[in-house]
Amino acid sequence: MLIDEPSANLPLAAVLRAASDLVTANLIEDWALGGALAAIYYVEPFATYDADIFFIPADKGLSAGLPAIYAHLQAQGWQVECEHLMVRGFPVQFLAASGLTEEAVREAQRIEFQGVPAKIFRAEHLIAIAASVGRQKDKARIEQLLQQADLDKAQLENILQRHKLKLPTL
Amino acid sequence: MKLDMRKKLAREPFEEKIRKVGQLVRLAKTFPRRNNAVARQAPARTSAR
Repeated sequence: MLIDEPSANLPLAAVLRAASDLVTANLIEDWALGGALAAIYYVEPFATYDADIFFIPADKGLSAGLPAIYAHLQAQGWQVECEHLMVRGFPVQFLAASGLTEEAVREAQRIEFQGVPAKIFRAEHLIAIAASVGRQKDKARIEQLLQQADLDKAQLENILQRHKLKLPTL
Repeated sequence: MKLDMRKKLAREPFEEKIRKVGQLVRLAKTFPRRNNAVARQAPARTSAR
């Protein structure tokens, strides 16, 4: 797959396809879309400037196989800018999952985006992850998800309890 | 925006929402928010003519 000129649309399908390719290449075990783009699956659209792909490393070493992942994607035409890999000018972060985020990857929802099969964090995990990070924008995300997403309240309670998390006062 | 309108937007297909995110990002790049620090340094308007 060659990555060419900047596109007017977010190249999300290319990002998801590339993540699946990493599994095929045995560079990662599993992955799911997290962060703001995953939240947008459940809430109203808002501006966001990157995609977060959480992955379970195939390489259990300290580097989580990131050098090989970068090399693989660069060979496909992706570019590196600071901590991001860029596809058609759109920044993508590959983040090694552990603990709560690893659980979120394993229990992610299967979707199809423009014909590309993908996995996306469940709303309950997005809320728990935002509660664990606790920045102002995470509180805003929790509020949005509580107001707009169809939540499994028992599942959310269960995740929060197991990971010793509490929802912030909004 | 009213909550019922926001919920209606939330129910749109993901592909449509991602298309709108692309539009929002393009708009934000075309019309960047004025940095607050810069705004504070800007000369204050007065009523003097």
